Amino acid sequence: MSLVQSIDYLAITPALVVAVVGIAVLVLDAFVTDRRRQLTGWISAVGLVVAAVTLLPLTDHPRGTFCVPGGGRGGLDLSSCSYVVDNLTLAFQVLVLVGALVVVLLSLDTVRDSHLPAGEYYFLLMMSVAGAVTMAASRDVITLVIALEVVSLPAFALVALPRYDGRASEAALKLFLVSVVSTAVMLFGLSLVYGVTGAVHLDRIATALSDPGARNAALVLGVALSIAGFAFKVAAVPFHFWAPDTYVGAPVPVAAYLSVVSKAAGFVGLALLVTQGFAPYADVWAPVVAVLAALTMTVGNLVALRQRHAVRLLAWSSIAQSGYILVPLGAAGKGDIDRVLPATVAYVLAYAVMNLGAFAVVTLVGRHRRANRLEDYRGLGRTEPLTAFALAFALACLAGLPPGLLGLFAKVVVFQAPVEQGTGWLAVVMAINVVIGLYYYLAWAATLYVSPGRDMAAQQARPPSYRISWSDGVAIGITLGAALWLSVVPRMVLEALG
Amino acid sequence: MNSYVPILVLGALSLGFAVVSIGAGALTGPKRYNRAKLDAYECGIEPTPQPVGGGRFPVKYYLTAMLFIIFDIEIVFLYPWAVHFDALGIFGLVEMVLFIVTLLAAYAYVWRRGGLEWD
Repeated sequence: MSLVQSIDYLAITPALVVAVVGIAVLVLDAFVTDRRRQLTGWISAVGLVVAAVTLLPLTDHPRGTFCVPGGGRGGLDLSSCSYVVDNLTLAFQVLVLVGALVVVLLSLDTVRDSHLPAGEYYFLLMMSVAGAVTMAASRDVITLVIALEVVSLPAFALVALPRYDGRASEAALKLFLVSVVSTAVMLFGLSLVYGVTGAVHLDRIATALSDPGARNAALVLGVALSIAGFAFKVAAVPFHFWAPDTYVGAPVPVAAYLSVVSKAAGFVGLALLVTQGFAPYADVWAPVVAVLAALTMTVGNLVALRQRHAVRLLAWSSIAQSGYILVPLGAAGKGDIDRVLPATVAYVLAYAVMNLGAFAVVTLVGRHRRANRLEDYRGLGRTEPLTAFALAFALACLAGLPPGLLGLFAKVVVFQAPVEQGTGWLAVVMAINVVIGLYYYLAWAATLYVSPGRDMAAQQARPPSYRISWSDGVAIGITLGAALWLSVVPRMVLEALG
Repeated sequence: MNSYVPILVLGALSLGFAVVSIGAGALTGPKRYNRAKLDAYECGIEPTPQPVGGGRFPVKYYLTAMLFIIFDIEIVFLYPWAVHFDALGIFGLVEMVLFIVTLLAAYAYVWRRGGLEWD
């Protein structure tokens, strides 16, 4: 038997391109003069575009590589491959690469202005992106865990890069501790599952679990603990406390990365694990996820009501949005799992577009107003109509209110799942939460269009006319364009999943 | 609800273990303190005296340790490859070269950033 396996290099090209460009950036940074360091940002941006282009040849049919010979017990073509590129994978890889591109564009000015080490910054970002790209294609638990760690480890350093800022160190430490603990919990759970089933591939685990006679306590524990591990990563209540402090302490583009790309990677991992690996145990994990979802959106929305700081508000809002994303998975217990997965994926895609849109404008305002309080947005609609519109539209989407049809559509798709699957209470909780969410999103959006006050303090707080660099402009343009486009043709998101 | 019994049992067991082991030590252990017992535990040897305030040591040691890890990990992967060189053939060679080149990138970075200079 040959020890050498055949590899479908075309399938893994996107991840390879990102990783190679990342390493090239690090080496290049070590050999150029200080003045040229900013080039690394542009190289990273080009690398991400190239990686996105290499996705195009993969769209014709599903591909699998790193397969175990002998096939799975199901006898399917793609069974027991560690790395599979299908429509689900492609949807997430597009999300990750475009999201990372927006983050890089937003970072260009941030890195230069706040004297962050450019080479290290983009190297760490690209490594994390390579992990996120791999995550979406992983179909065995070892690859899933490694990919999750590749996403997380560079993120700690990214958060800590403003070395002389105490808040950044605190943020990085909180993220690190929570992430390490959650990985330990998850590995314990997965090791129990492996111990009983003897399989690491998701399809083989599912086959082993589907035998009703083999159901035992260790498997139930393993499934529940694995979910707890992922709940940390996606900042689901009660494992959410790190998120607000980490987002505020990190550079704003890094916060955007954590709340969109890294969180999407966490969700795709969770969705793959529970819907493909643990599908026969839906009656065990779905109620757990349902309770997590209800708690997450309620706590997230209630605390967001009281926030006066833009990034902190977005942090709590993204916790609440995590709750909505979990709803379809929570509704899977009594029904058809294959029908709830597209709903979750659709919401993650929509969430990425609208949340990045909000973060893009918040990053821009944060350059001029370090404190980034909500008052700093007062009257932005007069001085910067287009930027204010981009933020207002993103907020309308997050609230799910017309004209933000993208958000409305995503919420309807998610809402259908518990209604159809007979988990009515979850639908009621979600409906109440959407109404609570309306208040703080719309209050912020309204701030943009009220006139600045008459007194001295308000006059000083008047937003200046920003000089918008073209990288910021492109970043805001991409997110606003995507949000508008998907609001007009929202079926695109679902059809992409086939 | 029945399927969650194992989770509750695990929670109860871990809580019980923590409470019992800490509680039993506090309740039943003899409390005869002397100077040696109150010292920091350093595997049975006399604790190394520390300067006031915890002391500082050069960050250079940290870099050296990181460099050691780079080469340590390299050996961990090189050794099995060397043993199975015949079976792995050209493919294995290419894989190994790629792996070492990746490590060299990190090494080059450390070198250019002055990580190899002791002073």
